[in-house]
Amino acid sequence: MEIPGLYPTWYEPLLGSGWVLGIIAVIHVLASHTSVGAALVSTWLATVAVRQNRPELLDYVRRYGVFLLVFSYVLGSITGPGIWFSATVASPRGLSALIHSYVWWWATEWVFFLIEVIGIYLLVYLAGRVDSRSYLQVAWIFGVASWATMLIIVGILSFMLWPGQESWFTEGGSLAGFFGPYTVAQILTRTCFMVMAAALAGNLIASGIEEPRFRREMTRTLARVGMTAAILGSLFFQWGLATLPESAQLLLKTRLPGYFVPTLWAILAGIVAYFAALLAQPDWLKPSLAAAMMVALLIFGIWPEERARESMRKPFVAGQFVYANQIIARDVPALGVRSELQLLAEQGILKSHPFIPDPLRRVNPGNQLEAGQALALVYCSNCHGLGETGPRPMTRMLAGNRNADEIERLIKGALVTGNMINMPRIPLTDEEARALALFLAGLPLWQAVGP
Amino acid sequence: MELETLYALRSPVGLPSHPIVFLVLLVLTWALHILAVYVMLGSTALALCGSVLAGGHWRRLSAAMLETAKVAVSIAIVLGVAPLLFVQVIYDPFWYVSNVLSARWAIGFIGLLLAAYWLLYYRYFRNGRETASHLTLATVLGLFLLCGFIMHGLSSEMLRPELWMRWYAPGGHIDPSGSALHDYNPWRFLYFVGLMVPVTGAWLVGYRGYLERCGERDTAYLDWVTALGKRCMSAGGLFSLLIYVSWMSTLPASAGGFAASAGSLIAVVATLALAAGPLVCRAGSGYYRPMLAAGVAILLIAASREALRLKILGGGFGYDILTYPVHFDTYSTLLFFITFAVLGGSTVAFSIALSWEAGKAQGIYTASPRIARLGNASLVALAVWLAQYFLFGFLTMIG
Ligand code: HEC
Ligand code: HEM
Repeated sequence: MEIPGLYPTWYEPLLGSGWVLGIIAVIHVLASHTSVGAALVSTWLATVAVRQNRPELLDYVRRYGVFLLVFSYVLGSITGPGIWFSATVASPRGLSALIHSYVWWWATEWVFFLIEVIGIYLLVYLAGRVDSRSYLQVAWIFGVASWATMLIIVGILSFMLWPGQESWFTEGGSLAGFFGPYTVAQILTRTCFMVMAAALAGNLIASGIEEPRFRREMTRTLARVGMTAAILGSLFFQWGLATLPESAQLLLKTRLPGYFVPTLWAILAGIVAYFAALLAQPDWLKPSLAAAMMVALLIFGIWPEERARESMRKPFVAGQFVYANQIIARDVPALGVRSELQLLAEQGILKSHPFIPDPLRRVNPGNQLEAGQALALVYCSNCHGLGETGPRPMTRMLAGNRNADEIERLIKGALVTGNMINMPRIPLTDEEARALALFLAGLPLWQAVGP
Repeated sequence: MELETLYALRSPVGLPSHPIVFLVLLVLTWALHILAVYVMLGSTALALCGSVLAGGHWRRLSAAMLETAKVAVSIAIVLGVAPLLFVQVIYDPFWYVSNVLSARWAIGFIGLLLAAYWLLYYRYFRNGRETASHLTLATVLGLFLLCGFIMHGLSSEMLRPELWMRWYAPGGHIDPSGSALHDYNPWRFLYFVGLMVPVTGAWLVGYRGYLERCGERDTAYLDWVTALGKRCMSAGGLFSLLIYVSWMSTLPASAGGFAASAGSLIAVVATLALAAGPLVCRAGSGYYRPMLAAGVAILLIAASREALRLKILGGGFGYDILTYPVHFDTYSTLLFFITFAVLGGSTVAFSIALSWEAGKAQGIYTASPRIARLGNASLVALAVWLAQYFLFGFLTMIG
């Protein structure tokens, strides 16, 4: 018998493993984007400070650096591996596919990351302690290395969503998966977003400047930078959408939640208005206001964006060949990867999954419910809570239907055949479909007694 | 788990280079990671001792070690990322299972580390203005150790494929909560954490050398630090050896015969070398020698640790990491090695040289022509890197 390379499943009833990953990812996106943007802004400010010999500006760069060190670097450097850890436990095969395709790119990113961390320390500790040429070298190395980390992650993330070139499937090569029609627009959009986030963070520091004239100057400068970045960023974003192939455009229309586009515009308008207000009235800036804007960006800006990306790639989790429920669903001839759907349809997952306990290998009247639970765990729990809690809770999906026969018909008619948009094909055997239907029919009760 | 299943769990995508390359990088980068972890743990512990003992030299050492700890944490974390990458590349069937089976711990690790790090900063910014500072530092140290223990648990679970099913489905019923840390060995943990004592000893001796270079006059303090460092090295090294022996006597049957193998002998010799560190110490720049020796010793210990894993998985279960399928990816393999050696080499050398010299100088330091050239070379390397990125991107897109 052929064995599919499936791992055990981790199930988190309250949030679902996907949300745990999502929360860590959102925090990481904010921290890392702020860091990179701040590196770019600092490099620029340090250059101005050194060229025009302005010690107070240098002091601002140093204070900004300390804030970044304590806030975004700590948060970014821990949540970064945190994403790996949470992706490992939520979606081992999805992560594995990315890691094995892009390990050298990630290792290269790590080199830049190392340079970046050393760079921020130097920027802070060497301010005013070395000659201006050396300080500029430090600042520019730091700025460019930070930006390079983003250049790398952009390609890996877009591979996750969609391999850049169709030829990747047949000919392979990490470059073909990495660079796609959307790459340049995405780099520009992200860079703008980073600078905008950095301007928000920079204002938090600027609000603490004692000297009123310098405080107003910094607030205005950052507002100008932030506003420009926000507007340019949204233009690049539009351009990026236009570079998508028609099929993906259609996908966007059908898959994105309805609130997505309006929310995006509202956020943008809010941020531009905020910066415009500061331009007109820099004294309005207070630490609490600046902090509130950062939090607002986190909640209203990044969360929907991350959610949208997640639903965009449904039912896949990586490279359009690994399903969210870890099953490989498409051949990748270049790498000798074969779809497992056929195998599972023939053998049944209960028989072939390496981590199914022996008593559940065969469905019988004594273990039907438990076998059904195992099936739901393996096939569904990545996207659905197996009860009344978690993401897309299963009880709500069935619209209150508790009739096992009807559920079984639905499973066989829509799931086994793969006729549901956003849902993977679930190649259950007949006895498995029956067991799953019984489990789903008994759900709330089972949830109370089960694990 | 059957051998056939272990092979099935490998990524069907395969590897972009030969497995041996990743194995070597894993050992190398883990040695760097754990070296930074030792300095981080040791300096935190010394800062704690100093704040408890509070008298004369201890007070000064405590403040200096707090500075060290703060930087060392970030270096330890950054250096941990590389082995985390490589371990999942060649040991994915094992690493992913152990992580899933202890998922809450793997996730909890993040929160605990974050708490520890921020608490350390908190303590740093409030230095001297706080009454309960021992408690804060003790908590930081405890959290660091707990993080290390989680790492240890994950590394241990991956070596017990024969127990996975019993952990995942006790009594034949699946438990998907990931709430237990199923396997650990107190001796192994104590050994890999206890090595912080001799390593930190070597670090202290190097610290003395650095202070002297910077023109420090307080010779009483310098001699006191040196003596403390040497004591940590010899006592810590010998103590580690005892722990090592206890660990070897508790290895699972799957490790059959490792304790008396050449791989194990390497660790014994390296641990002894740590204890003998004071012998290589000389005046002047010779104060840095113990740290250099400690680095080499830790690298050997890392190699021995890997030998044990290969022995258990290869000898005990018949798993051969060399049979991992390879789809060689020329571009990305070259990209990494060239970036690492040329770009990484020049920028890190520049950064270290500049901060080193600036630390020693009084007033504003003007870079020597050599350092300035290094800085320029780094910038050129970065520019070339960006150019090749967009060039290959363009070629891919039109190709
Ligand atoms: C890739 C993630 C994913 C997996 C795996 C998955 N689903 Fe779904 N499922 C979805 C999405 C997305 C929806 C649409 C939800 C919505 O419209 O709110 C959905 C909807 C449903 C619905 C409601 C359909 C309707 O039209 O009302 C049912 C029933 C359902 N899923 C059952 C299952 C079962 C049973 C499994 C496991 C065998 C499963 N799903 C696995 C993503 C998934
Ligand atoms: C407080 C911080 C940390 C401490 C005290 C610590 C300590 C340790 C220890 C003691 C081990 C050896 C365990 C054993 O073999 O028994 C280890 C291994 C490891 N650590 Fe860390 N660590 C820390 C942070 C990190 C971070 C942040 C990362 C990742 C970014 C990391 C990645 C690793 C990896 C990949 C291994 C090796 C896994 C293997 O080869 O099996 N560590 N760590």
